[in-house]
Amino acid sequence: MQLDNTVEVETPEHVRFRFHVAGPTRRAWAYLIDCLVRIGVLIVIEVVMVLATGHQVRWGHAMVSGGTLLSLFLMEWGYFVLFEAGWNGTTPGKRALKLRVVKAGGYPLSFADAVLRNLLRTADFLPVGYLLGLLVMSWDGRFARLGDRAAGTMVVIEDPVRVAPAITLDPPPTAAELEALPVRLSLSSSEREAIELLLRRRDLSPGRRIELAETVVPGLVQGATSRPGDPVRDPIRDPVRFLALVHFAATGGRAQGASGRGGART
Amino acid sequence: MNRPQDEFVASRRPAWDELDALLAKKSLLHRLPPASISRAASLYRDICSDLMRARAAGYSVEVIDLLDSLAARACAAMYSAPPYRLAGLRSLVASGFPCSVRRHARFMALATALFLLPGILGFVGALRSRGFAVQVMSESMVEQMEKSYSDLGRGRDEGTDSMMAAFYVYNNVGIAFRCFATGILFGLGSAFFLVYNGLLIGAVAGTVTAAGHGRNLFTFIAGHGAFELTAIVISGAAGLVMGYALVDTGRRSRWASLRAKAGDLFRLIMGAALMLLLAAGIEGYWSPSPIVAPVKWGVAGLLYALVFAYLLLAGRRGKPEGES
Repeated sequence: MQLDNTVEVETPEHVRFRFHVAGPTRRAWAYLIDCLVRIGVLIVIEVVMVLATGHQVRWGHAMVSGGTLLSLFLMEWGYFVLFEAGWNGTTPGKRALKLRVVKAGGYPLSFADAVLRNLLRTADFLPVGYLLGLLVMSWDGRFARLGDRAAGTMVVIEDPVRVAPAITLDPPPTAAELEALPVRLSLSSSEREAIELLLRRRDLSPGRRIELAETVVPGLVQGATSRPGDPVRDPIRDPVRFLALVHFAATGGRAQGASGRGGART
Repeated sequence: MNRPQDEFVASRRPAWDELDALLAKKSLLHRLPPASISRAASLYRDICSDLMRARAAGYSVEVIDLLDSLAARACAAMYSAPPYRLAGLRSLVASGFPCSVRRHARFMALATALFLLPGILGFVGALRSRGFAVQVMSESMVEQMEKSYSDLGRGRDEGTDSMMAAFYVYNNVGIAFRCFATGILFGLGSAFFLVYNGLLIGAVAGTVTAAGHGRNLFTFIAGHGAFELTAIVISGAAGLVMGYALVDTGRRSRWASLRAKAGDLFRLIMGAALMLLLAAGIEGYWSPSPIVAPVKWGVAGLLYALVFAYLLLAGRRGKPEGES
């Protein structure tokens, strides 16, 4: 289940940009990882303490119990605060799921924000298993639990910067192919977007690409005479290449001029 | 006609990569050489306009996502929160915390009443009837309380002292944090924990007194009580402040009204936590020590005077922090 959403924030420069806000499922996974990390750290601390105080000392030794209580306290109340404040809104679990806590304006959170949002986990947890927090989240486009609302924070997804693949036409269009294109070439912006979206999708199987392209081609070739056997005049033969050609021609002479740029389009 | 997307990407890409590299540096932006900072600022502005252009031209989702996330990261780096300094802790202790306590004097009074009145009730009730004490606590706890405090003041070994101090940190700071946090339920959680803890502590004191060890108990708690009981009341009061901010919003939205109080809430709960750490130290090492009772009483009186003088007087000069 993926329940993610986007939120638009405006900077002092009046630039608006979007954050992908993380939904409850993703945050629950991060929380689970953080719980495991905390348990792991506690076990390591225990082992080290018992080894350090020597084998002759029994488990119930006062210093060991004291150390256990202190580390329990640190893990219960300090873990999230210290990580989020010192690691710019992330914890190991949040890093694993590419999550980050930021202020509602997109800025990093302060120490006070980290304290407030994490102390209020106690309230979000009520009556059991973050039920109240989940309920409050569902009321809000930013999936803010009580702690987020009090501190004015949100949890966003930080995907690594992705490369937008360039549209390539391989092999490069021949003059004959371009000449043979239908007359109606000024694509509307939504038509152009749809074609680009299809051409950039590398994850589709060839069959699916063709199938999708076939649904668009008839609208584009309406009125154009069809000459059977000609790969251009009979676009059904290779609808994907046909769409790429249409796109190439529709994006204008600039695109043709651009083909001289060290073969960037091939 | 807009520029084709691929041409746009190809021409702007170097600038994006440059900003990406600047942001990916390990050190924070303000630690970079001045030239890099101003370069990052100008790249950030360029990318903001690239984003607008890309969105207006209807470029594909990937390009806009890429620019969105780059702009978001750059914005976060440009407008980052002030770094944490030790001076912040000093100003919290010197003025921020006591000023916030005084600013919410009414809630302090209310929290004190919610804690003290059930405390008196619990004390009197347990003193008069054992059945009352069993109702509040449990049979086994009453029995344990009757036995403990009979031989106090002989001192313990250092290990036990440290363990108990750690226990008080774990237990008492946890209680204070819970007492505060549940205040977001319109103050009801805080009120409940104040009343419950008051009643419980009162009933324990009543039971021990009824068993004839009242002097021992009060000698024991006098010292750290100055910090511990005050801090519990303050954390409860902070919860009440939080709950009330959700009720009386003063022409703000409910959550904006709460956020306006966030600074005060932070100072109150951090101050209370620091007091409880002090209290845990006193309770672990000083309170069980074999020092004679009169000295303990004298020190306790001094500590109470110190705490109240601090809360009432500290930070009165100068501009109060976070006045709203």
